[in-house]
Order: sequence, then C-alpha cells, then structure tokens
Amino acid sequence: MSLMPYAFGGLTAVVLVGSIFAASSQNLVRSVLWLGAALIGTAGLFALLNAPFLAGIQLSLYTGGIITLMLFGVMLTDREHAVTRQNPSLNPLGALLVAGTFFALLASAIMNTELPMHMGDFNGSTQAVGLNLLQEHLLAFEALSFLLLAAMVGAIVLARRRDAE
Amino acid sequence: MIPTLQSYLLLGSGIFCLGLFAALSRRNAVGLLVGIELMANGVNLNLVAFSRFTGLIDYQVFALFSIALTVAEVVVGLAIVILIFRHHRGIDTDLVSEFEG
Amino acid sequence: MSALNLACVAVFLPVCVAGILWVIPALRTRGRIGAFLSVLAALASTASALILFGMQRAAPNTVILDAQARWLTREGRSMADVGFYLDGVSTSMLVVVCVVALLVQIFSLGYMADEPPAAFGRYFTYHSLFLFSMAGLVVAPNLLQLFMCWELVGLASYLLIGFYFKKPSAARAAVKAFWVTKFADMGLLLGIIILYAQTGSFSWGPEAVATLTASGAATAVGLLLFLAIMGKSAQFPLHLWLPDAMEGPTPVSALLHAATMVAAGVYLGVRAMPVFAASDQTLWVMAHIGGFTALFAACVAVVQTDIKKVLAYSTCSQLGYMVAALGTGEIVGAYFHLTTHAYFKALLFLAAGSVIHGVHSNQLQDMGGLFGKMKITAITFIIGALALAGFPGTAGFFSKDLILEQLLHAELFFPYACGMTAAFLTAFYMGRVVFLAFFGPPSEAAQEAHESGFPMTIPLVLLAALSLGIGFFGTQLAGLYGAEYHFHLSPTGIVASALGFLGIGLAWMAFGRRPGMNLSAFQPIGNIIRYGATDRIFKAVYERIILGASAVLSWIDRYLIDGLMNWSAYITVVGGRELRGSQTGRIMDYVYFLVFGLLVLSASGWIGQ
Repeated sequence: MSLMPYAFGGLTAVVLVGSIFAASSQNLVRSVLWLGAALIGTAGLFALLNAPFLAGIQLSLYTGGIITLMLFGVMLTDREHAVTRQNPSLNPLGALLVAGTFFALLASAIMNTELPMHMGDFNGSTQAVGLNLLQEHLLAFEALSFLLLAAMVGAIVLARRRDAE
Repeated sequence: MIPTLQSYLLLGSGIFCLGLFAALSRRNAVGLLVGIELMANGVNLNLVAFSRFTGLIDYQVFALFSIALTVAEVVVGLAIVILIFRHHRGIDTDLVSEFEG
Repeated sequence: MSALNLACVAVFLPVCVAGILWVIPALRTRGRIGAFLSVLAALASTASALILFGMQRAAPNTVILDAQARWLTREGRSMADVGFYLDGVSTSMLVVVCVVALLVQIFSLGYMADEPPAAFGRYFTYHSLFLFSMAGLVVAPNLLQLFMCWELVGLASYLLIGFYFKKPSAARAAVKAFWVTKFADMGLLLGIIILYAQTGSFSWGPEAVATLTASGAATAVGLLLFLAIMGKSAQFPLHLWLPDAMEGPTPVSALLHAATMVAAGVYLGVRAMPVFAASDQTLWVMAHIGGFTALFAACVAVVQTDIKKVLAYSTCSQLGYMVAALGTGEIVGAYFHLTTHAYFKALLFLAAGSVIHGVHSNQLQDMGGLFGKMKITAITFIIGALALAGFPGTAGFFSKDLILEQLLHAELFFPYACGMTAAFLTAFYMGRVVFLAFFGPPSEAAQEAHESGFPMTIPLVLLAALSLGIGFFGTQLAGLYGAEYHFHLSPTGIVASALGFLGIGLAWMAFGRRPGMNLSAFQPIGNIIRYGATDRIFKAVYERIILGASAVLSWIDRYLIDGLMNWSAYITVVGGRELRGSQTGRIMDYVYFLVFGLLVLSASGWIGQ
C-alpha cells in the first residue's frame, strides 16, 4: 500500500488551509504565521517530489528566515499595537475576481496540455543538485552570490538610522 | 489517487492565485509581501514538480535560485517598509502616494 | 579663332564683366571704369558677332557651329544640353543684338553722364548682364537654354526698368512688367514640360515635332508657347507692361523694349516655328491676335502726349505685325521685320532720348521747333520715322511690305486689313510726333535746347544709316537661312505706300500748320480701348481674382491646416489631463494594473494557441 496519495492529500490540505488563512486573516501577525504553515507544507511536498535538498532549504530559508524577518518587520513597524491588529481588506471581490480568472486560465492550460508522466527513477539527491549547480549553472551561481551581497548592503543602507541629518 | 503532474501543477497554480488574491486585497504593506511570498511559493512548487516529472534536475536548481532571489527581495522590501514607517508613521499603502499625478 | 571661341567671347565676356563689377564694388562705384569695361565687352562681343556673321555668309544655309555640353543626364542619355547653335537665323540675330547693345551703351555714356558714379556703374553692370542673357537666348540650341536665358532677360529688364528705384512709379512699373511676363512665362514652362513629356527632348527639330503632332499635344504646346510670346512681346491683352516700362532710362527703352528683349518673343516664334506650324489653330490665333494688336496699339499711340509712350505703343503695334506674320507659318517676313525694326526703333528711342535730354521733359507740348537747334537728332529721327512708316526705300518699307504680302497670300484677311489700317495710323502718329517736336513754335523748354554730344549723336547716325540701307540686303539675309525672298512691286505695296503718304499728309495738315489739333475724332476710340480701361481691367482682375484666391488660401491655411495642428495639440493636452487620473500614486492600484496586464498577456497567449 502506497502512502503517497495520503501524504499528498494531507500536505495539500496543510498548504491550502495555510494559504487561505494567510490571505484572509485580518490580523497581520496571524497572517504571517499562517504563511509559515503553508511554507512548511510546501517543504513536505518537496520531499515527496524527491527533492530533499530543496525541502531542507525551504524549511531553513523560508520558514526560518523569511517568516522571522517578516515578524521582525511587523513588530518594528507597530505603533501602539495598531498594526498587529489591523490587516484590513481592500476590495476583496475585485481581487477574488482577478485571482479566480487567473486560476481558471491556468487550470484550463494545465488540463489541456500534454504533460509528461514519467514517474520512474529520479535522482534528486543533494549531490545531483550540487553537481548540476556548479557545473551547468556556475555563472548564475556566482552572479547570485553577488546579488545577495548587493541586497544585503542595500537593505542595510536603506534601513539604517540617519543620525547626522 | 496517485498524484500526477497535473495535480501538482494545479496545486501550485492554486497557491499562486491565492497569493495573488492576498496581494491584491491587502492594504498593509507587509500583507502585500505575504501575498508575494505565497506566489513565489506556488511557483517553486511547480518548478520542483516539473523537475520530478521530466527527470531534469536543472529545474530544481532553478527553484533554488528562485528561493534565493525571493529571500533577497523580501529583505530589501522589508527595509523599504521600515523606511516608509519612519516617514509616514504607519504602513498603510494609501499613505505612500508621492507618485500621484 | 574658331567659331566656338568667337561664340564664347560674344556670349560670356559680358557676363564676366557683369560678374566682376558685381563682386568688386570698387570698380563699380567708381562709375566710369565700370562703364568702360562694359563697353569694351560689348565691343568685343560685336566684333565676334560680325566675324561669325562673315563666316555664316561664306557658308549660307548651313549650321556653322553646333557645340553642346551635357548638363543633365538621365539613364545614361543626355536630358539637357547647353551650348551654341549658330545658323543663319541665330548669327544674324546675334549681330543685331550686339550692334544695338553696343550703340546703346555708347549712347548711355553721354545720356547717363549726370548720374552719380555708383548708379552709373550699376547701370552698366545690368547692361552687361542683359547682353549676356540675350546672346545666350539667341544662340540657344534647345528650349531649355532658351527658357533659362528668357528668365534672365526678364530679370535684367526688371532691374533696368526699376533703375530709378527710389521713384515709386518706376518700382511699380518694374514689378508690373515682371508680373505680367511671369504669368506668360508660365505658358512657356508648361509648354516645354508638355513637349518634353511627349517627345523626350527639348528640341524643336522636325523629329520632335513629328512626335508631338502624333501625340496630339501640338496645339496645346503651341498655344502655351504663344502665351509666353504674348507676354514678352506685349501682345493684347498682355501689353500693359510695356507703356509702364518707359519709366526706365531711355537707352534701356531703346535696347530692351524696342529692339531686343521684346523681340525675344518673336525670336522664339521664329526658332520654334516647326512647333507652331504643327497646329493650324495656333497659327490662326497668332495671326489674329497679332493683327488686332497692331491696329489697337496704333490707335492708342495716336492720343499719347508722352513721346516715349508713343514709341512704346508703336513698338507694340510693330510686334503685332511680326506676330501676325508668324501666323502664316513663314518666318521670313517676321524675321526680316524684326531685324529692320530693331535698328529703326532703337534709333527712334535714342533720338527721342536725345530730345528729352535737350528739353528735360518727355511731353510733346514741351517740344517744338527743335529742327533748327538739334539738326542731327532731328534728321536721324525723321529717317527713323520714315522707316517706321514704311516710306519707300527705307528698310521698313521692304519688311512691312513683305509681311502684308504674306498675310494676303495666306488669306488671312482680318490681320491683313488690320495691318493696312495700322500702316496708315503709323504714318499718321509718327508724322504727328515729328511735326509737334521738330517743327512749329517752340515752347519755353525747347528754347534752350542744344544738340547733344558725340557719344549720343554717333550712334544715331550709324543707326540711321542702317535703317536706310538694311532693306536692300533682304535677299541676302533671307538666303542665310535658306529662305527665298525677292522684292517685287505689288498692289499691296502700292496701296500701303499710298496709305503712308496719306497719313503723313494728314498729320502735316493737322499738326504742321496748326499745332495741337483737336483729336476729338479719335476720342471715342481712345476712350473705349484706352490704356486706362485695360489697366482698370488688369487691376480688377488682380484684386478680385488674385487677391481673392490668396484670401481663400490663407483662410484654408489659418483655419483648416493650423486648425488641424491646434486641434491635435488640444487633444494631446486634454488626453494627458484625463489619463493622469490613472496615476493615483497608490500602490495597490499599481499592483492591480500590473496583474491586469499579466492577465491580458496570459489570456492572449492562451487564445493564441
């Protein structure tokens, strides 16, 4: 008996529930936390898809890093607890319409396309990922490190306190 | 039910559209970033699914890059949110209207 | 010296002088030096022309020089050539032009001596320019060069008529002359264009004409070219500018508006006769307009009080004779009369200039009894008048007789009748001028008149000799370009001479005995077709049609075209103002726009599948 369908179904539920609540919660902190739940679910899905390295990265970078960062951001910009309480919606119907149209579009594209069904052996190991990264995409790798450095420096410059103004 | 590529893709698209909904309906700057995160998440899921089902590992590497870039983008975005907060004493997106006209 | 060298000297030396005088003001403002250079150039041109004439006489009815340089090419072949084409017609015309120009320039040395040196120099610069233009026109091998020189001649005429540009009437006259001839030149340009379109060349040779006739455009081209002739040679109704052109100095009137420039129209007719002869309608029109002009102008000449205006209308009338002669399809009569008329009309104008110089006035009533005081002037003027009237033995007699005979032979009865009547009137009005100016009691101004100096009298004498003698060389001149001409006395000749005597006698009766006869008989004619009436018509046409058309065009420009521009600017401003509303500055709106665009792109990509 394969556990695959159940695992898939369960993780799907986690991701979807987390996403829906993240999108609709009126409380900003709760919204961010629900996002975290969705990200964890996605990490599980990565694992199901024979991508262990990515699952690990997703857990550490995304849930660990970004959620933390967002919570920091929320806290730092909270004035008299106003923000943490308020996460008002802006025209939910219009947004629903647009998102719904988009989903309909994508879904029809997916259902009407010939998709490969290769479910056999797949080596998604870290070693494979690493080899591919450093052999095929070395230049992009180097550029990415440069980009990360720039983002770091940029964020610091942007957000530092300007004492001598 | 064995999950096929279609189901994974549908799931990814669904997450993306939920993220889109979130991005469009939030008035809070951080809420906007949450929506963007969800969208990126959906994309990554799609990419990994494609990698699994076509046997090419390059797509996983692509997803890796996507994660890294999203991280960088959130970092800078949050720095800007902090700046806005300092200037406007709030992070309601309606406050930022210097580009009007 | 080859023919080519001589031709180059004759045509280009004057323009070199004109160019030097224009570019180096020091030479021009010094006055006498400029005049000296100009006269020298004219002398060289005349000498070259005479040598070429000799060469032509040695080889009659041949082309002694046909040298052309390619100017414009098209698809490897030549589109337009410029150069020299010297045959019997052009060589003898070149002689006429150069001789008259030289004599007029010498005369001007005396006549314009009172002018300030700067104006004196400017005058001779224009003269040299004119000589070049006219010579270029005469030797033109095709219609294109002729057209270019035609326009240059018009320019020189404008400059010289408006020489006293500080006088408003002179400036207006120059512009009027330019206007009317420019209108006529439209015809020349259109005719040349149609000719080129149909035949692929600018020439007037027999092959081109055959092609033209085959294409059916012969009448159109002929009439258009005739329009140009009407303007340049002052035929009715485009004659208006010639009397006004008398505002220029008298030597200019002699050279341009008697002998050479107005003759350019007739010369075009002579040169391009194959083109005109290709269409019977064109010839008919030419003959009848020419005949009518001859009569009409002669009538008007009778009632003029200004001696120069009499001569101006007389020129108009004689040109009418030539144009009517062209209407027969033969060039002999017109060309012969062109040659003789050049000499005696120039003579008459110069002599009149001498008289004007003596009494300081143009008006006939300020003259009188000058025969005693200005013998040479008087005698030469009388010789010229007799030639103009067609007194037997003078040059004018032979040429006028030839024209009348040709008209009769071609059965053009209306022009013939006009010509005969005009002969009578010509004699009459010339007699009137002679008797009023040189005989009878002198006015106060005339009391102090004295004979003019040598620069003025020598040309008079030479021209008088030519007026008397040229007539006897008619056969030789015709032979130069292969035409037959022998004089024989005919009924036409006798009747015409009788009319001439009648006219002179009537004039003596009216003016010789009792000066200042009441011309009441002519008043009705004078009033109806007077110069004033046609001038009023011209002014009405100008104001109503031309200014009206300008008003319409300016309205279109201001309201429609500018309006279009303004409207598009307005649209831009309003559109910008409205579209600015989309720039709310709110982030969420921008996000919406972004997503919307994404949606559209995806949808279009999906539909494109």
